Formats: sequence, structure tokens, C-alpha cells
Amino acid sequence: MTQTRTTIRRRRAFVALAAATAALGLMPLAAQAGTVAEAKAKGTVVIGIQGDNAPWGFVNSSGVQDGLDADIGKAFADYLGVKAQFVPLAVANRIPALMTGKVDVLFATMGMTAERAKTIQYSKPYAGNVLSVYGPKDKKIGGYDDLKGVAVGVPKSSAMDTAISAGAKSANILRFDDDAANIQALLSGQVEVVGGNQFYGDRLNTAAPDKYEPKFDLTTLYNGAGTRPGEKDWNETINAFLDKIKADGELAKIYDKWMKREVPKFPEQLPDIPFTAQ
Amino acid sequence: MASIGPNELFFLAQGLKWTLALTLIGFVGGGIFGLIVALARTAESAALRRVTTGYIAVFQGTPLLMQLFVVYYGVALIGLNIDAWLAVAIAFTLHASAFLGEIWRGGIQAVPKGQTEAAKALGLHYVSTMKDVVLPQAFKISLPATIGFLVQLIKGTSLAAIVGFVELSRAGQIVSNQTFRPLTVFAIVGLAYFLICWPLSLWGARTERRLQTATR
Amino acid sequence: MSYTLDFSAVIERLPELLLAALATIGLALAGMSLATVIGVLGVVARRSRFKLLRGLVIGFVEVIRNTPFLVQIFFIFFALPQLGVRLNPTVTAIIALALNGGAYAIEIIRGGVDAIPKGQIEAGLALGLHRGQIFRHVILKPALRTVYPSLTSQFVMLTLTTSVCTSIAAYELTSVAQKIEADTFRSFEVYFSITLLYLVISSLMMGVFALISRISFNYPVK
Repeated sequence: MTQTRTTIRRRRAFVALAAATAALGLMPLAAQAGTVAEAKAKGTVVIGIQGDNAPWGFVNSSGVQDGLDADIGKAFADYLGVKAQFVPLAVANRIPALMTGKVDVLFATMGMTAERAKTIQYSKPYAGNVLSVYGPKDKKIGGYDDLKGVAVGVPKSSAMDTAISAGAKSANILRFDDDAANIQALLSGQVEVVGGNQFYGDRLNTAAPDKYEPKFDLTTLYNGAGTRPGEKDWNETINAFLDKIKADGELAKIYDKWMKREVPKFPEQLPDIPFTAQ
Repeated sequence: MASIGPNELFFLAQGLKWTLALTLIGFVGGGIFGLIVALARTAESAALRRVTTGYIAVFQGTPLLMQLFVVYYGVALIGLNIDAWLAVAIAFTLHASAFLGEIWRGGIQAVPKGQTEAAKALGLHYVSTMKDVVLPQAFKISLPATIGFLVQLIKGTSLAAIVGFVELSRAGQIVSNQTFRPLTVFAIVGLAYFLICWPLSLWGARTERRLQTATR
Repeated sequence: MSYTLDFSAVIERLPELLLAALATIGLALAGMSLATVIGVLGVVARRSRFKLLRGLVIGFVEVIRNTPFLVQIFFIFFALPQLGVRLNPTVTAIIALALNGGAYAIEIIRGGVDAIPKGQIEAGLALGLHRGQIFRHVILKPALRTVYPSLTSQFVMLTLTTSVCTSIAAYELTSVAQKIEADTFRSFEVYFSITLLYLVISSLMMGVFALISRISFNYPVK
């Protein structure tokens, strides 16, 4: 008796789900997205930022958004004459958050890749990030070929994942939720090497002095602000803003504060990644 | 090597605050909608019963993590522009309403039929029958299971970490990464959950024993 | 702007998803089998004459049942290596599932064992059965039968819990789904489809459990 009842219940579950799918499929789905004018009228710009990727974007111990991206976000809000409202995002959900209109713009350590450029509109680059493979000093890793059968940790949905997945097909790639878990996996010995950004070196050195080193560079990734494709107003406003802070030294100040290095020379263009909305 | 000082403990406490807030929202929201689900599940209308049965089966037959993902990305698609934490709160409310609805359905059906019939014979209408006769007894019967689910819900909020929400578990991961002491940090995090859940579990077990002796 | 649903990314990579679904089922089955063993052994230990052993079992059950699975699996994967115990993601996942399911199984089976009338055990003693025989035939078998519905529904929940193993990069349905999501940015479509797939898996599981029950418990109760 209970069995039959369960079967019926299950069948109803499918009917319910199927009905939901059909309803969703029929609706022309409109994600809510504000324009620059609307943000100005509201008095706030909603900025997507990474929640735990120091020194790019993170929540400091008083629970406030901090880091390079946060400072640039604040400068952007000042430029618009509005308040900045930060939405902390993880690596895996930042693009969906933009596409579904949860945020107006992403200053979320968004490495500029051609694949992502198919989905979102990048601004001009405003930061640079050297991605490398990090491993213990006593292990010989000179290039992709040495990664054969090696356990490599990468953060989910990261450019390191894309690069290593393409370059070392026979590596045993383990994808972790974020940088924190990825670094932890290397320190715990759960992976032999990791793909990481230019800050992995410092963080690994603090954890285990003189044990790890960068093995080889994957690529230099430039970070740009992300907006929804076709939304010219946001793209043009951000590019104008970036030109301004590059010219008046504000970017250099922010860069020195967080990156402790000079602003890199940015390329005028990147293959397959347009900086301006068409 | 950094050590675990007041700053780190404060950060964990901030995470704990969100864990408790999410639980509270899920439990209160889930309680309100769960009551509606339970009443619809025991209603006379076959259509209502069928719809709620499907609703419950979907939420009980799929992982909470997937429910979080689907609601998280789904709410924006149907035109709602809402905060991440609100999306998570909605997901927990839906999840809790299905489970609490099913638990309370059991409670409602455990109240002897004769009581409803007696109430009807006395001329009480539906609202009064439910409010004054059936529900008080049903809640008493369902109390142990309700407390049990509350514990499940507190633990379940940890999955909000995977969606990028900084609650206790994710705060633990971040601190463990900053201090490089995973053993200590996860022991502290585990202890925090335990200290919240264990008294509830004990309370649940006690109410269950009391209920058993009462009905014996 | 408008967002149009597009499931083609999911359909294109369906073979990958189905393979991952098998991995999920594999993890779940391994976890359940070990959980049952832990459950039975735990009940035996819980009835032991040694206070320490009883205390350990009670402590284990309470700790596991009152902490989140995510924290448990993080602890095994990230913290245990500090003590020299290093397990790969799949092994970690199976052990975490087994311990978690095992703690619940101990409580559930114990409930069934406690429900066995004393007279039945006395009858066994009168028949000259020794302790082991009594436990196996008079206590355990009928108890397992009584608790079968609760135990199996707990196991369905355990199956759904396997999704959390994505956090330690174990190979299973959710982690593969996340990879596809990362490649295509079709978040909603991917997660919606995966949810449906999980519903199929849990339904299948319930169907099989019902079938097993019908076949193996197909003798009169009293």
C-alpha cells in the first residue's frame, strides 16, 4: 500500500516538474536590468565583487567589502555620483549574477578571455594577473607535459582551469570551490600542484616558507569590468571612467595600495575580446 | 604562520550570525507555508492534495544543494531582481515548507477522525475545527519531528557556502585558508554547530519519550 | 534584455552527465553498504557490557548527527592530512557518506532492536540458542525488517547528500554539472536538468527498495 502511494507521489512529482518546465519554456523571460540612468535615479549602482579573493575583492574582518576591486567600485560610484552597493559573489556565480540582472556591473577579478567575451561585454582592462602553476620546490615541473597524471588543483570556473584543461589533457584536474579550498588542497597534500594567480606565491610562502615556487606561467590575464552585452550605456560609462582614473593617477594609487606594484602596461586590444559594445 | 586570534573568532562569529539568520528565516517562512502545505495536503479537494503531494515529492526527492542553485538562478529569470541572500532565504523557505508540511500532515492525520466529526456535529466550521481542535493536537504529536527537522535545517544552511554565501562553514574555510590551521578551524566550526544542534536534539528526544509515555 | 532558455548545452553533454549520474549512484551504494555495516556493528557495540565502548558509540552518533555533512567531509579531506591521513576525493566521499549514514543507521536499527519483545529473547534462550544466534536470528533480522522503511528513506537522503561531495572535487553528478555550467554559463538550464536527474535517481532508488522489500519480506509477519 505504502509502495503504491509512493509511486503515485513520485509520478506526481514529475508531472509537477514537467508543468513547471513547460511554463518556463513558454514565457519570454525578461531579466531585470537597470540602465545607467536608472542607477543614477536610484542613487545606487549594484556592483558584483568577489567575496574572498584578497587582495582583489574580499570581506574584511569588520564584514565590509575591501580590496582593489572594492576601491575601484567605490571610485566608479563616486564618478557616477551615486552610492555603491556591493554584492559578494563566488567565482562560479559571478557571470550568472550579471546575466540574470542581479548586479549592474562586475568588478569581480574578471579575467578577460575570448570564451567569456562571447557571453559578456568587457570594458578596457584595468588590472593584470600573471597565472602560473605552483608546486613544491623538489618537484620538477617545467611545462604542460610534466603534468601528465599529476593531481592538479584549480578553482572551479577559473582561467587556470581553462588553461590547464586545454594544455594538459592527461593531467588529473581537481576543481575546488574557490582559491581558499584550492590552496588548502595543496597545503594538505591532496594535490601535487595548483594553478593559481600571482598572489599564490605570497600566500603559500606564508603558510610553508620556502616549500613552494612558481613552476611555469600559464598566461597573463587582464581584468576588465563586465557588463551585459548590448548595453552600450554601461560599457561607455565604464570605459570613460577607466580612462579618467588611468590618466589622473587614481588607478596607480589604488594599485600601489593593494598590489604593491606598478600598474602594468595594458594592451590596446586583445584577440576576440572587444572592449567596446557594438 | 598566523594564529587564530580574536579577529578570526570574530569572523567566525559573523558567519555564525548568518547561519542563525538563515535558519530563522527558513524556519519561520517554512513554518507559515508549511502550514498551508499541510492543510492543502489534508484538504477535501483532490486537486489540492495532488499538487501539494507533487510539491513535497520534488523537494524531498532532490538535493538541497540543487534546490539552492535552481532557486538562486531561477528567481532572477522570472523577473525578480533580488539580493543573493534573499534568493537563498527563499530556497530555504521552500525547502522547509515541503518538509514541515509533510511532518504536520502526519500530525493532522494522527488526530482521530472522530474528533473532526464531533466538531462538525457541534456545528464548528473548518477554520475553527482546525484552529481549536485538530492543529493544537497535531502540533503536539509532530513536535519531535519538527525539532528534528530544525536540526536538519541548521546543518543544511551550511550548503549556502557552496553558492558563495559566507555563513559559518564558508567563514571556516576562509579562516582556515588564512591561518593554515584546518584541523583547529574545522574543529571549532564543528563544535559551534554541535553546541547549537545538540541541545535541540536532546530536547527532541525528550519530547518524543514524553509523547510515547503519554499515549501508552 | 530578455533571457531565452536554451537546453542545447545540456543535451549536447548528456552522455557526460549520465556517466556522472552512475558515479553518483556508485558513491551512494558504497556509502549505504558501509553505513549498514556500521549500523549493525554500532548497535552491537551499543549493547556491549563495556561502558567505554557504549560511550564511544553514543558520542560518535551525537557528533555526526549534530554537525553538517559539509563540515565532516571538509574535516576528513583538508584537516586529517595534518595528522598524516591523506585520502583521495572518492575515498573521502565514500568514508564521509558511510560515517554519516552509519550514525543514522545505528539510531534507526537500535530503535528496531529495542522494539523486540523481551519474551522473544527469552524464548530463544529457552530453545538453547547462544548469544550470537539470538542476536542474529531473534533480534537483528526482525529488527531490520521493522526498520526497513526508515532505513531506506534515510538512504535516499544519503544519495541526495552525495551532491555535497563536489566541494572536495570528487567525481559525481554535481561536479560535472558545475564544469558544464562553467563552460557554457547556462546555469539555470544546467541545474534545472540536474535536479530532474536527481529526482529520477531518487525515484529509481525508492522503486528498487520497494521491490527488495516485496521480494525479501514476502512472508507473513505474525
